[in-house]
Amino acid sequence: MWSDVAALFREYMGTGLIVIWYILCLIYLWMNEKRKHLRILFLYMPVILLLLYFNPVFYRLVYAVVEREIYYRILWLLPMTVVIAYTCICIYGRMAGSGERRAKAFALCAAGVIMVSGSFVYSSPFFSRAENIYHVPDTVVDICDAINVPGREVMAAFPLELVQYVRQYSPVTCMPYGRETTVDRWNYYHPLRDEMEAEVIEMEKLVPLSREYHCHYVIFRPGTKVRGKPEDYGWVRFGEVDGYTIYRDMEVELIIPDLG
Amino acid sequence: MVAVHFLILVLLLLAVPAIIGGLFGHMEKYGGNLIFRWISGQFLLWAGFQLICVPLILRQQSFTFLTELFGGYTAVLTLLALALEVKRRRKAGTLVFRMAGGAAGQKPGESAVLWALFGALLLFQLVQAVRLAYADTDDAYYVAVASVAENSDTMYQVLPYTGGIGGTELDSRHGLAPFPIWIAFLAKVSGVRTVTVAQVALPVVLIAMTYGIYYLFARELFPERRGQQALFLIFTEILVLFGNYSIYTVENFMIARSRQGKAALGNIVIPFLLLLLLLLLHKLQEKERISVLLYLLFGIVMMTGCLCSTLGVLLMCMAVGVAGVLGAICYRRPWILPPLALTCMPCVVYAALYLFLDF
Repeated sequence: MWSDVAALFREYMGTGLIVIWYILCLIYLWMNEKRKHLRILFLYMPVILLLLYFNPVFYRLVYAVVEREIYYRILWLLPMTVVIAYTCICIYGRMAGSGERRAKAFALCAAGVIMVSGSFVYSSPFFSRAENIYHVPDTVVDICDAINVPGREVMAAFPLELVQYVRQYSPVTCMPYGRETTVDRWNYYHPLRDEMEAEVIEMEKLVPLSREYHCHYVIFRPGTKVRGKPEDYGWVRFGEVDGYTIYRDMEVELIIPDLG
Repeated sequence: MVAVHFLILVLLLLAVPAIIGGLFGHMEKYGGNLIFRWISGQFLLWAGFQLICVPLILRQQSFTFLTELFGGYTAVLTLLALALEVKRRRKAGTLVFRMAGGAAGQKPGESAVLWALFGALLLFQLVQAVRLAYADTDDAYYVAVASVAENSDTMYQVLPYTGGIGGTELDSRHGLAPFPIWIAFLAKVSGVRTVTVAQVALPVVLIAMTYGIYYLFARELFPERRGQQALFLIFTEILVLFGNYSIYTVENFMIARSRQGKAALGNIVIPFLLLLLLLLLHKLQEKERISVLLYLLFGIVMMTGCLCSTLGVLLMCMAVGVAGVLGAICYRRPWILPPLALTCMPCVVYAALYLFLDF
């Protein structure tokens, strides 16, 4: 359990540089901050919170009621951003008394050091140019719009890379398996998902499974290798969106409600 | 027509909270500050939402019923705040909103450049929030819960990942922190699609709100020094923009996942709570009387913590508990502890509910 807590702390620190600056700021404030209310909030409170974070009795208690992987969020109570920014301005203010230029040079250096120590938030590979006002891929929007039947839900099996977006955009599009099957550590087994993600999809295995889950539609990603002709199993090629092929299984009843 | 929908959304997220924040107009020092009013008004709305929504979720009431009730609550607060404002205005003769404090201690030109730089960096982040999409698999839960609520008129009864399969069992554990349902409320009232509210509108507003809180920090830490306030804010921006040194940091959550309740907890609720603690400790330092309004605001923030995340219950109590005990010891004012403990009651109630429903 201790190793879990320490590992979470290490992961929270990342490269550790920003945390080192934070600790240096705490030391600076410890020596120079005279206002008691600031000492309490910026110094004493974080120290006590860190002692609690690493306290075996405390983390055993917390682990008993919350998921282990979110224990690091206790560290959100450390006002790191405010303390680092505040300390930089205090030093800047102090230096400005003896020379404006030196103070400005310090501010520039401090900003530079923070930039080099951290990592630019938009450089994350998870960021991409939004394709539309929904911030989900156009492919998902077009597929969901194509298979949508006004007044009712439809069931569709999607390739894994699309499942996390489908129900954000279209709550009327149901799926036999969803995001839960994309997280390895959850060990979620789903037979239809496994067949859909097989290197070569066997229609003979896929069709009974998709019918078991009442899938009106099945979507294949571009370049999917399929053994057997979908048309031989009562499937109709419904359309194609960005290379994704949509099949409609005519054996699964899809009653279109009369909205008139 | 789309413009009208977005206009309603702007009113709901900016104008209405700013008006309701007028109820805190008597809070000395900050009462007349528009940013403080906007943020505290939004907290009052969030706290009310939590209070109304959770019992309805547990009783499996419809989303429409919640919308009506919370809409009524919002309307009553708005009218009350407007009436108070008119009364105050009549009494004072004029209404003055302050965006900033005094301007002493810095060359005006230099200060303006720093504020312009802060504004430019903020604008950059807001534009990026609209321009860039962040692929986070947790959205498959949180955004889908909101979309489903609006579409199915139920709350936490349909599995968000899949929909039809899995039935209609109540997810009461997540239902205790119904931040996604608030998103659904905004979508329903404004007419903007839920996914757009969550992925585009909320990040813009919540990022701006986070800097609003940092601005209030700047005012508290550097009163009468406008230039240093701006420089402080620029440093917070740099720390946020370069806060991707780990995926767990609040800065990362703020930029990448601001529509999720846990991000709002880390970037809005906790910083605002720390600001209130700073105000409380400052009052103890100055041996000033602590107003009931400040304690009330504490309670409201605690309630909002419960809305954002079930873990909020623990984090909020830890912060208030540690700072409260330290304040009581360092200033020898133990009588601040009972009212502070009282403000933790919402968290205690939700924690008990969580344990009751979980086991």
